Amino acid sequence: MLINKNKRLMIFLVSLITFLIIFKFLFNTLRSNTIYFFSPSEILKLSKLPEKKIRIGGMVKKNSINEKGDKYEFVLTDFNQEISVTYSGILPNLFVEGQGAVVEGKLVSRKYFIGTKILAKHDENYMPKEVADSLKKINNTKKIK
Amino acid sequence: MTNIVGNLLIFLSLSSSFVSAYFYFKKKVSFFLKSYLLSCLLCFSSFFFLIYCFVVSDFSVSAVYQNSHSTKPLIYKIAGSWGNHEGSMLLFTCIIAIYGFVFFYTSKNVESNFRNLTIFFQNLLKIIFLFYLFFLSNPFDYVFSNPTEGLGLNPILQDPLLLIHPPFLYFGYIGFSLILSLVLSGLIKNFFDKEWASFSKNWVIVSWTFLTVGILLGSIWAYYELGWGGYWFWDPVENASLMPWILSVALIHSMLIMEKNNTFKSWTALLAIFTFSLSLFGTFLVRSGILNSVHTFANDPERGLFILGIIIFIIFFSLIIFILKTNFTEEKKNIVFLSKENFLMYNNLFLIFFLLVVIIGTVYPIILATFSNETISVGPFYYNTILAPFVFVFLFLMGTGPMMKWYKNEFKSKVSLIISIGLISLILVLVLCYLSKKINIIYVLGLFFSFYLISATIYEIALNTKIVKIKQNLGKNLSHLGFGLLIMSVTLNSFFSKEYNFMINLNEKFTSDDIEILFEDFRITKQSNFDQFSTKFKISKNNETIILRPSIRKYNQPEQLTSEVSIKNTLLKDFYLAINYSSIGERRLIGARYYENFFILGIWISSIIIIFGGISRLIFRK
Repeated sequence: MLINKNKRLMIFLVSLITFLIIFKFLFNTLRSNTIYFFSPSEILKLSKLPEKKIRIGGMVKKNSINEKGDKYEFVLTDFNQEISVTYSGILPNLFVEGQGAVVEGKLVSRKYFIGTKILAKHDENYMPKEVADSLKKINNTKKIK
Repeated sequence: MTNIVGNLLIFLSLSSSFVSAYFYFKKKVSFFLKSYLLSCLLCFSSFFFLIYCFVVSDFSVSAVYQNSHSTKPLIYKIAGSWGNHEGSMLLFTCIIAIYGFVFFYTSKNVESNFRNLTIFFQNLLKIIFLFYLFFLSNPFDYVFSNPTEGLGLNPILQDPLLLIHPPFLYFGYIGFSLILSLVLSGLIKNFFDKEWASFSKNWVIVSWTFLTVGILLGSIWAYYELGWGGYWFWDPVENASLMPWILSVALIHSMLIMEKNNTFKSWTALLAIFTFSLSLFGTFLVRSGILNSVHTFANDPERGLFILGIIIFIIFFSLIIFILKTNFTEEKKNIVFLSKENFLMYNNLFLIFFLLVVIIGTVYPIILATFSNETISVGPFYYNTILAPFVFVFLFLMGTGPMMKWYKNEFKSKVSLIISIGLISLILVLVLCYLSKKINIIYVLGLFFSFYLISATIYEIALNTKIVKIKQNLGKNLSHLGFGLLIMSVTLNSFFSKEYNFMINLNEKFTSDDIEILFEDFRITKQSNFDQFSTKFKISKNNETIILRPSIRKYNQPEQLTSEVSIKNTLLKDFYLAINYSSIGERRLIGARYYENFFILGIWISSIIIIFGGISRLIFRK
């Protein structure tokens, strides 16, 4: 009986430790594979520039798209703050001035972003959910003021 | 006028469901069954009526107005009836009714108390969803402005695959509602034993087969329509369909143990409860507007909240019955180490782990966004890194498990067999590595373990010489074989596929490695519901030339651009070209994405083999 109890305790402990290791592994991988999203206003408030790849989103400002050699330059705005973006690559079908866009890439300074990927959207009425949410947040704070 | 008829049909179906429930409590069995069948028929007719409204383009009905257009091809008018939130929920409710209906006609020789209670629960579920349909998501709402034209269906959904993808997926999801009803009434009527397991297993396999077909169709659609070169993106919406799939595989295997020796009852009951809950959770994720994808039709938080309420209600209700009714005098049988049931237990453990990984990856961003203001997304790398090593072990167990005996540890006598199968796989891997001149630890392990499963399964098939045995084991063997081939194809695909992105103008050439891509020609044509900008590309590689004709469509209702990819399939690899057009800047360039995707055909074929496993199990059931 006693041996049986000890054996059970051992099995319990071993499986507990295995589970803990697996979960540690799981959450570590999760953390290193998440991409954060910021709006231009949020970027201004950041205390430290993120080292990792991030996504930013907003509306593409009217008359802000410039073509320079292989690169495109444009300004993303949330109607409160702006950020300039450079991007070399293929622009998606629905990348149009005055519409929402989400860009993935690296933040160089609070006002300058190098994009590596522009995310595809499905239709012209659709605004990326993240952009819509961040615009909503700004409108709410403006109303309070 | 039409909206009154539609509403009336739904209302009558709802009332006859209530009448049916009333007669059940009054113990008037024949009235109970008759009114149940009537409510099912009314439910079906309301759905057919909605299709009729779509076909004749009756824009006074809100679902038609918002999702159809008179110039749309007939087939997409019909598909439009489930290509929107309200219509798809009507289809959802109809399928609950279909399962109840079919169960009624196929269960005549089942114990009648158990059968009636199952139908009662199925009726209860139908009531809940009819209620939701009638008050919160009514497809027959009246449009007061009296429009003469509709708003059109999202062009990306105008695809033949999407005609059949949602119905299959729904038949999969909702099949588990019947399993839940069977579990609950089995528990209450003390019918939850061996016999229950072998009877209900067929229904689980029916739903599982439908769900697999649905997922496969969705994946093929994503490959052809989205133009990103891949077949699986670990998108939350895809994960939503994968979660009940994983759990239903676990359920099938735990039912095998229950069928054999009357144990694992509580576990089976819990799996069944949570499989249906996860199916509903998938519907909630997709329909609530929490996620953002092609599938989210409505951003109506009220609806999402209601579905969430339904899920919580069903889980609590089922768990209460489960707790009250599980006083099994379960025969204490110790599970023998390395016996067949032991391996089936490992199968369940691994599947639960896979499920956890997928759930965490899908739900963590939602929770984070709700409780803090951080918005994140989880990349595919998370899933691939975590799942890969465990899938390898899983493949080994999957190949070894079927060799084992029930109740006995005969592992020792099989060691030489396992080693020889391992050696065969090793030789195959070495040959493949030599041929492809590629060595990478994940690649080698992935191939080794999938070869192991494939050869072990082929050995199992070859072992059976009697026709009866072959028929009995065909389902299992085909599904296992298909899974091995699937992992093999996925591994090969991820290590050989190539991607090239470039901008190109007419008559220009793009060269990289040993490929030459020439933009030869373009043409603009008009169709009834879109304008098409078609191109012609010539791709040359090692004296081989292929012509690909990708195009861009500009749909007029609603106005939207879509890229139509052009794919040339061969057995070994697909040549895949997608273009988009950017009108910004002086140079009007075409942006092109060219992919060489290996073993895509292998992925489709192995999935089809898995599906045939399910079908043959149903044909050759005992």
